[in-house]
Amino acid sequence: MQLARRIVVRLFGGAIMVLVVAIFTFFLVRLMPGNPVAAEYNTLIMRGMTPVQAADEVRVMYGYIPHEPLIDQYFHYLWQLLHFNLGQSISYEGVSVLHIVLSDAPWTIVLVLLGLITSFILGVTAGVIAAVKRSSGIGNVLTVSGSLLHGIPQFVVALLLAFLFTTLWPIFPFGAPYNASLTAGFNLPFIGSVAYHAILPVSAYAISSYGGWMLTMKSSVISVLGDDFVLAAELRGVKPRIRFGYIARNAILPLFTVFALSLGFMFGGSLFIENIFDYNGLGNLLVTSISNRDYPLMSGAFLFITIAVILSNIVADFLYSVVDPRIRRST
Amino acid sequence: MSLHDPVPAPEDAGIQIRNLTVSYDTDRGRFHALNDVTLDIRPRHITGFIGESGSGKTTLAMAMMNAIHNPGRIDGGSVLLEGAGDVLRLKGEELRRLHGRYFGFVFQASSNSLNPLKRIGAQLMDLGRSHGVTDLRALLREAKTLAERMGMDGDRVLTSYQHELSGGMRQRVGIIFALVLKARVIILDEPTTALDMLSQQAVLEIVRTIHQERGLTTVIITHDMGVVAEMADRVVVLYAGRVVEEGPTQSVLRHPRHPYTRGLIHAIPRITGNLHDVEPLQGTPPDLATIPTIGCVFRERCPIRAPICDTVAPTPTSAHGDGIVTCHGVDQHD
Ligand SMILES: Nc1ncnc2c1ncn2[C@@H]1O[C@H](COP(=O)(O)OP(=O)(O)OP(=O)(O)O)[C@@H](O)[C@H]1O
Ligand SMILES: [Mg+2]
Repeated sequence: MQLARRIVVRLFGGAIMVLVVAIFTFFLVRLMPGNPVAAEYNTLIMRGMTPVQAADEVRVMYGYIPHEPLIDQYFHYLWQLLHFNLGQSISYEGVSVLHIVLSDAPWTIVLVLLGLITSFILGVTAGVIAAVKRSSGIGNVLTVSGSLLHGIPQFVVALLLAFLFTTLWPIFPFGAPYNASLTAGFNLPFIGSVAYHAILPVSAYAISSYGGWMLTMKSSVISVLGDDFVLAAELRGVKPRIRFGYIARNAILPLFTVFALSLGFMFGGSLFIENIFDYNGLGNLLVTSISNRDYPLMSGAFLFITIAVILSNIVADFLYSVVDPRIRRST
Repeated sequence: MSLHDPVPAPEDAGIQIRNLTVSYDTDRGRFHALNDVTLDIRPRHITGFIGESGSGKTTLAMAMMNAIHNPGRIDGGSVLLEGAGDVLRLKGEELRRLHGRYFGFVFQASSNSLNPLKRIGAQLMDLGRSHGVTDLRALLREAKTLAERMGMDGDRVLTSYQHELSGGMRQRVGIIFALVLKARVIILDEPTTALDMLSQQAVLEIVRTIHQERGLTTVIITHDMGVVAEMADRVVVLYAGRVVEEGPTQSVLRHPRHPYTRGLIHAIPRITGNLHDVEPLQGTPPDLATIPTIGCVFRERCPIRAPICDTVAPTPTSAHGDGIVTCHGVDQHD
C-alpha cells in the first residue's frame, strides 16, 4: 500500500518535471535566433499560401500558431502534447515527429542500457577486487585503470575506438544499427548484425563510465569492510560466501545514487557517440535536427531524452528503496 | 535442537593462555598491545577483565579467539582450549567453525554488529546455516525465547531491521547471537555500556543464569567495578598489555595488592564504602609509544615506586591464594 502510494507520488513528480521541460523546449524553440516558427510561416506565405492555410500548416508542424498570444500558443502546444502529438518534421516533410522519435529511441535506449549494464558489472567487479586486494599489484593496476579511464571524455573514447577499429583495423562496421540487406525481425542473422554493429558504441559507453563505477565501488567496499558488522559476522563464524553477500549489498547501495546521475550523463553522451559512429538514435537525431534547423523534431527528441532520463531516475530511486530498508520504511 | 558438533565441545571449556604477545603496526611504529600474557581462564567461571581504556582488554579477547586483524599481529604464545588444542594454530574453516560455535563474542560496539540491510531473523538463519544447523525454526524459537528472557518482544525483534531497534535492544540482540548456537565460551566486551540501570540488571541477570544453566566459561570485559563485583568469580587486571594482578574477585577487590588495582578501586567510592579513601588514579593511561621498555611499566604513576622498578621488570608472584600479582612492592606493603 505504502509502496503504491510512493510510486504514484514519484510518477506525479516525474510528470511535473516533464511539464517543466516541455515549457523549456517550447520557449527554446520560440526564442531561437530568427524565430523558426515565424520564419516558417513567412516562407509558406511567400509560397503563396493564404494566412489561414499557412497558420494551419505551421500548427501541424509545431503544434501552435505564431500569431496567437504566447500563453495561448503554450496551452495549444501542451494540449497537442497530451495527445502525444509532437508536430511534424520539417526535414522529413510530412512525417510526424513522434513517429521518427519512436523509431530512433529504441536504438539509443538499448545502447545506453547495454553500455551501462556492461560498465556496471565490470566496474563493480573490478572495484571489489581492487578493494580487497588493494595492497597488491592487481589492486593497484585496477585502480590506475579506473582513474585513467574515468578521466577521458566520452567523445575521445568514441573517436579513439572509431579510429582504431573502423579505420586502422577495420574489424567493426561503421554507421547504421544493422546490415540493411537483412530482413528486420526476430531472426538470428539480423540479431547478430545488430549486436555486431552495436559493439563499438556500447564499448564507448561502457569504457567511459567504467572508471566511475570502479572507483566508487572500491571506496564503498573499503568503507564497508571497516564496518563493525563485517568483523562481527566473521567472529560469529558466518560463512565467507554469506559474508561476501553482506558486504556486496551494503557496498553497492551508494552506487544507486550514482546510477541515476550516470544515466543522464550517458543519454547526454549519445549526442557524441551516435554522431561519431553515425548510428541512428535519438542523439544523432538531435544533432542532425539542429543542423537542419528542424525545430519540431529537435524539441521532440529533446523532450524524449528528458523523459527517458526522468523515468530511469524514478526506477533507480525505486530500486534503491527496495534494497535499503532504512529508506523503504522511513518514507 | 539438532546441533551436531563439528568442533569438540567438552563440558569444561578452560583456556590456557601462555606468553601471548600481540603488536599493532601504527604510523609511529610497531607497539606491543599485549606483552607476554600468561593466564588461565577457568572453566565454569565468570572472569572479569578490568583496566583503563587502552590497557588491552579487547585485544586480549580477540587474541584468545585468534581474531587479531591487520594492523595487528600475534607475535607469539599459545592459547590452549581444552579439547580443541592451540587456537593460534587454527586457520580457515577450522577457525571459522570455532567462531560462533565454541566462542560467542559480544561486541563492544554491539549496537552496530548487525547487517543493516537484513532482518534479525534472516541473519540468525545465516548464522545457523553457517554452522550446519538443520532445524532453523528451532534456532529462531531459541532466539525468541532468549529475547523474551531479556525483556524484549521476540517476534518483533526477529522481524526487525537493526535501525528499528534501540541501542539497548541492539546490545541484547548481540548477546542473543552469542548465545543462540550454545557456544561454550562467552566473551562479552562491555555488554552493558548502552543500557540504563534497569536493563543492565536484566541483562546481567540473564547472562549469569545462562552461564550457570549451561556451565559456560564466561569473560566479561568492563570498566564498571560494580559489574565485576556483582558478576565475576575471578578478576584479571590489565595494565599496558600486561596482567598485573589476577585472583578471586572478593579477594582482589577487598585486598588489592598491586598499586594500580588499588588505584582503580579507590577511584570508585561504592566499592570501598569509605568516602575518604576515594582518590583518582594518578597520571594518564599509558601510551604504547612511550611506555618504558626496561623496568616496571607502571612506575611513573606508582605511589610506592622503588629504585629497583627503574631497572628490573617485576615477575608474577603468587597472591590471593591461587592468584598472582606482578609488583616489586607487594611484600613490603601488604
Ligand atoms: N586496530 C588497531 N590499530 C592500532 N592500534 C590498536 C588497534 N586496536 C587497538 N590498538 C591499540 O592497542 C591497545 C589496546 O587496545 P584495546 O582495544 O585492546 O584496549 P581496551 O582495553 O579494550 O580499551 P577500551 O576500554 O577503550 O575498549 C591500545 O593502545 C590501542 O591503541
Ligand atoms: Mg575494548
